[in-house]
Amino acid sequence: MAEGSTSVLALEAVTLTLPSAAGPVNILRGVDLAVSPGERLAVIGPSGSGKSSLIAVGAGLEQPTSGVVRLFGQDLARLDEDGRARLRRGRAALVFQAFHLLPNMTAEENVATPLEIAGAKDALSTARQWLDRVGLSARLTHYPHQLSGGEQQRVALARALAARPALLFADEPTGNLDAKTAAVVADLMFALVAEVGAALVMVTHDPVLAERADRLVRMGDGRIEG
Amino acid sequence: MAVLSFRLASRELRSGVRGFRIFLACLALGVAAIAAAGSTAEAFRHGLSSQAREILGGDLYVSVENRDFSPAERAAFDGLGTTTYTAAARAMAEAPGGDRRLVSLRGVDGRFPLAGTVKIDGAPDLKTALADRDGVPGAAVEPALLDRLHLKLGDRFTAGPVTLRAGAVLVSEPDGLSRGFALGPRVLVRREVLERSGLLAPGGLSGRAVRIALPAGQDPRVVGKAVQARFPDAGFEVRDRLDAAPGARRLIDQLEYFLGFIGLASLVAGGLGVAGAVGAYLATREPSIAVLKALGADGALIRNLYLIQISLLAALGVAIGLVVGAAAPLILGRFAGSSLPIPALFAVYPLPLAKAGLFGLLAAAAFSLIPLARARSTPPSALFRRSLGGRVPLGLETLGAALAGAGLAALAVATAPTPMAAAIMIAGVAVSFALLWALGRAAAWGAGKVRRLVGGPARLGLANLAGPRSAARTASPAIGLGVALLACVVLIQSALLAQITTTAPRTAPAMVFTEIPGAQAAAFDAEVAQAMGPLTPETYLRLPFVTGRISGLKGQPVDKDRIKPGQRWAFDNDIGMTLLPGAPPSNQDGDGKTVAGQWWTPGYSGPPLLTLNAELADGAGLKVGDTVTLTILGRDIEARIAVLRRIEFGGFGPNFNVVLNARALEGADLRNVAIARLGKAQEAALTRRLGDSFPGVNVISVREQLDAAAGLFDRLALAVRGAAAVAGLAGLLVLAGAIAAGARARAREAATLKVLGATRGQILAAYAIEYGAVGLIAGAAGVALGFAAAWPVVVKVFEARWSVDWGGVMILLAGAAGLSMAGGLLAAALALSQRPAPVLRAD
Repeated sequence: MAEGSTSVLALEAVTLTLPSAAGPVNILRGVDLAVSPGERLAVIGPSGSGKSSLIAVGAGLEQPTSGVVRLFGQDLARLDEDGRARLRRGRAALVFQAFHLLPNMTAEENVATPLEIAGAKDALSTARQWLDRVGLSARLTHYPHQLSGGEQQRVALARALAARPALLFADEPTGNLDAKTAAVVADLMFALVAEVGAALVMVTHDPVLAERADRLVRMGDGRIEG
Repeated sequence: MAVLSFRLASRELRSGVRGFRIFLACLALGVAAIAAAGSTAEAFRHGLSSQAREILGGDLYVSVENRDFSPAERAAFDGLGTTTYTAAARAMAEAPGGDRRLVSLRGVDGRFPLAGTVKIDGAPDLKTALADRDGVPGAAVEPALLDRLHLKLGDRFTAGPVTLRAGAVLVSEPDGLSRGFALGPRVLVRREVLERSGLLAPGGLSGRAVRIALPAGQDPRVVGKAVQARFPDAGFEVRDRLDAAPGARRLIDQLEYFLGFIGLASLVAGGLGVAGAVGAYLATREPSIAVLKALGADGALIRNLYLIQISLLAALGVAIGLVVGAAAPLILGRFAGSSLPIPALFAVYPLPLAKAGLFGLLAAAAFSLIPLARARSTPPSALFRRSLGGRVPLGLETLGAALAGAGLAALAVATAPTPMAAAIMIAGVAVSFALLWALGRAAAWGAGKVRRLVGGPARLGLANLAGPRSAARTASPAIGLGVALLACVVLIQSALLAQITTTAPRTAPAMVFTEIPGAQAAAFDAEVAQAMGPLTPETYLRLPFVTGRISGLKGQPVDKDRIKPGQRWAFDNDIGMTLLPGAPPSNQDGDGKTVAGQWWTPGYSGPPLLTLNAELADGAGLKVGDTVTLTILGRDIEARIAVLRRIEFGGFGPNFNVVLNARALEGADLRNVAIARLGKAQEAALTRRLGDSFPGVNVISVREQLDAAAGLFDRLALAVRGAAAVAGLAGLLVLAGAIAAGARARAREAATLKVLGATRGQILAAYAIEYGAVGLIAGAAGVALGFAAAWPVVVKVFEARWSVDWGGVMILLAGAAGLSMAGGLLAAALALSQRPAPVLRAD
């Protein structure tokens, strides 16, 4: 498919069915989606509609039950878990609603870790620069539990973008924050994504935030409705 | 990759080792037990080596039974170095008041001892103590004899035909350890006193020995072999200082292995604690692992990162164990060094510590790598939903765990004194562990089914028992293994003690009489009948007795290397034999069973025939019809095996390894031995009576010997149970680990229950039911496994009668259930001590 070769992310007829005590649950029911380089896409929809699973499948964190997922043109089904992890290194990043900072690492170590994993030599100094960019130069050696929710999400943003990825997945990035802090974090995210030229796939419940995207996709019952 | 792994691991470790306390404790406990056992044994070995010359009484020791050394032999010994000759015999000691007691007499010459000193009280030196006073020779006597005969120093007493004076209290002889067990208190006299007494006459039970101090630079082993080569038919027992006390050395080897085995069992039981702690720790790290994977970390990086942490912590646990294990014997030596029966040189010995450390590291690897494999396979999708707790993937970790487990078993077998027994024990532990593990899972499954039938706290307790963090799965195998080991020890000990205190007094004779002159045998019977009443085959048996040596088999000299090690003793020493006119009446044969062949008929007067203990025949590859050459009273007799029989030595019958037909030694004036069953009062009366009529007859009270053995056994039993309790402690540590791992979930559960209106009592009851059930199930399974392990040891190895100490078993069961329930109540108390609101908010 021509679209797949020029897209940073392409999903073709993707389904995801997970087992549960009450029987299999269909999470995604045939999703087709393509994201172009630099494009900012918002995914909205009610709880349980499959938004977060879309990100999990797209980022290669979860394997679909059927269909094809291409990340940077690579068919993820052809890669094992380690292969998918290597593909993400420095190119695809994630930001989560629950921040998911590494609890035993300081802010600068959290930001430096993906750079180190990707083999960067000056990971810590790059991390400091990025924490300065998100306004946390005074919090370099603080641990996650010593930071507020907004600060933690800013660290998460710095961690995601420090390697200048081509694609950022953001799963409810402001969902755990109050309105004022959410606005600050959203501004920062859009500014930084624009600066590094990354594409953005953002799941959100917030219509205002969704409005800031280039394209909006609505999900319902595991399908893209429009 | 390695640098990054170390960097990330060091960041992770900054959070401290709080979750690893149980991990450290489990490893340290097992390692400490193994290290302490090895270090103590090494201290004894060094002690024995450093005092080998004193223990043997010289560099070389040569002994012979029932005869004196010939002039040629003496000349040869005297040419080797400085010599000291001793003689030994048994005799009845009698006080003027009529009290009597069998004693072990030892005659020593003026050069005794060549090494070390004889410790005595009441005389300035040994020479003074043994000197004649008013024509009566002096004797150094053990305190037990003074007590028994109501004597004080200076009093006279007789020992067989000799009158002696208690010249000193014998505290210790330097070579006491190499001389082994004595039937009666020891009495030291001058050798010429014993020589003159007639107690060393041929046909009796006596021995002579020479100890030789070799010139410096001579290898005692080489000289010993030369002595044996020069006098191949002399029947010498030759020992050198390099193996001064083989019995003590064997005892130390066995002790080390037994204690080490308990340590190993503790490591295996504690291994669940290790696995539980690593699993719980890695479970808390699951989100971090998922995040790292989302950030691009591959499985190898995740494995290395946590492997480094676990390795460092394992090294710390092993180090703690080694420090404790090395220090424990030093402390023992400081407080009990002087009262130990075997000399010991307490110090830090690297070899046993290295062995214990290796055991610890292998156990850590065997039990940590599986949870690590599970953690490595944590999918990054765990960021979106909790991990489904997937299966353990096959990979380097599982291979490593399997290799470490096999290495642990191989090391245990390779370092054991008897590898076959070790292999059986290790296999037993492995099978028990697997069974207990399966039982834990079955109990959790069963609880899930049963919970629907009950309500209230019971349902909650059973639901927890069935749940994913069920202590039935984690703690019950460890508790079960600890209980199994304790139950096995308790059951073996109680059965053996019952054998000594109950079975043996019922089946064995109460008294044994030796040195009965053959010519006066009928008069002796009459004398005994005066005290016992009419003699019956059930209460009295007298037989001719002779000592001799099996010197040839099937016409060839005995080749000891071709005889099984377990039976070699009978072909290595003089053994007791008797003669019978025909098959003994079945009621006299005790449990002795004819296995093969046919007894000779009364009046048989053909070529010599014999019956042989079937075990000895098996050890030497003999069967009915084969010939055996016996050297008896200086002449060789070739006899054909007529019967093989199984002998129960504790029974009341002619329990001799070799029985000859009555006419095989026709014409020889044989002494007799007799056994009798009689009451305590009759025993005392008969002992006194024989003092007048048969002063030369030795009287051995089996009851007294059994009482002494029971006392010694009881003291040993306590120490062994104490050691086995270490494995029980490992089980409790695992339980504590399970409680600690689930503490947060318990607090949340208790808070939710409180919100729903549950009372503290209901919550406590639910937890007590859950953990009490774990203890009861694990305890019952442990006891069952203990039975399975103890029965063959008691019945097959010790050939004792199986009996069960139900009191001990019940205490164990109640202890397992009670301690486990107490753990549950502690878990509940910890959970209930937190206010519900903050707990639920934090969640």
